Amino acid sequence: MKYILKYTFSLLFVLFSIVGNAQVKDTTKVAQRYGLRVGLDLHRLTKSFYDKDYKGLEVVGDYRISKKFYIAGELGNEDKTVDDDRFNFTTKGTYFKVGFDYNAYENWLDMENMLYVGMRYSVSSFNHTLNSYTIYDSTNYYGENTITTGEKFSGLNASWIEVVGGLKAKVINNFYVGFSIRLNYIVSDKKPDNFDNLYIPGYNRTYDGKFGAGFNYTLSYMIPLYKKK
Amino acid sequence: MKKYIIIISVVIIAFSLWNCEKDDICAETTPTTPRVVIEFYDFANPTVLKNVTSLGVVAPGFTQGFGFSGVSKAILPLKTTDDSTILQFIQNGSDEDATNDNLDEIIFNYSRQVIYVSRACGYKTNFTLDATIGAVLTTDSNNWIQNITIEQPIIANENEIHIKIYF
Repeated sequence: MKYILKYTFSLLFVLFSIVGNAQVKDTTKVAQRYGLRVGLDLHRLTKSFYDKDYKGLEVVGDYRISKKFYIAGELGNEDKTVDDDRFNFTTKGTYFKVGFDYNAYENWLDMENMLYVGMRYSVSSFNHTLNSYTIYDSTNYYGENTITTGEKFSGLNASWIEVVGGLKAKVINNFYVGFSIRLNYIVSDKKPDNFDNLYIPGYNRTYDGKFGAGFNYTLSYMIPLYKKK
Repeated sequence: MKKYIIIISVVIIAFSLWNCEKDDICAETTPTTPRVVIEFYDFANPTVLKNVTSLGVVAPGFTQGFGFSGVSKAILPLKTTDDSTILQFIQNGSDEDATNDNLDEIIFNYSRQVIYVSRACGYKTNFTLDATIGAVLTTDSNNWIQNITIEQPIIANENEIHIKIYF
């Protein structure tokens, strides 16, 4: 929670710096930079340090194809242990997301900020290890029965569509910070026998329905390739 | 621009709150580990239900048990840790007077199936009573239970009668 507040604060800071820069309007056409932007998700990176039950890395990238459109994607790997009331399990897997971002923000002169919406098609391949589980017995007369198993559920996969909303702001030179939130909708979900995909790498925790949510907090570097008016 | 900021701020706040949301609680209506359902019949007249009075049921070594009085049905838990459960059915066992107690012991033998239910409920155990020794009365000098029959060996819910006891 402390970290969420921290992120929220810095995000608002970024937001206001964008607003602060957007006071004057000008119609002059300025050559804009096109290039490939690559970065890391700082949330997953830092969480790997402070949360002993989580290891994850996400590489993000986008490539500008027009004034407003970017081809965008994420590639990541997660190793997460979930300790619920009823069970403790570890999910490991890799995911890939590809789609586009549409910049809705009107930049002034040579500014390169983004307030965007986008979509992704995402696939994830993963496995679960059920470390332990507790049998649910409503009477509980004989006491709790917790079984340590280590049973593995392999060869699982899922795919989903993400609707993305976010922003990116240039901080210095070619460096950008960004934040995005994602609403996920499951398209396919290969479930294991006698267990469930309660966590999907890249998708996060699953819920009863097909919807889920996620976010990232990125630091990126742009490799400029050419300029265009 | 103001519009954007309002929308984004609302989304961020909503999202922060969402992260604090607690896990679901297992609903009582969700079928979890079933108990064995026993009905009591008149030994002299085997088609007629017979009420028990002050029946006490307890597992050996336990101080707390289950009391039944004025009913012809008892629903009792089986051990999910073991393939057999011993229960002592004590006639007049749930009243104050200990001198009129008559203890009969039944050994339930079964196989267990562990079945995934949900995130909130976890796993449950279903039981299949053994075809020959599913419910065995331990013979003593003064059994009040006359006969036991298995009606439904698969204990997967509590809507069926699994065992009938005649006395």
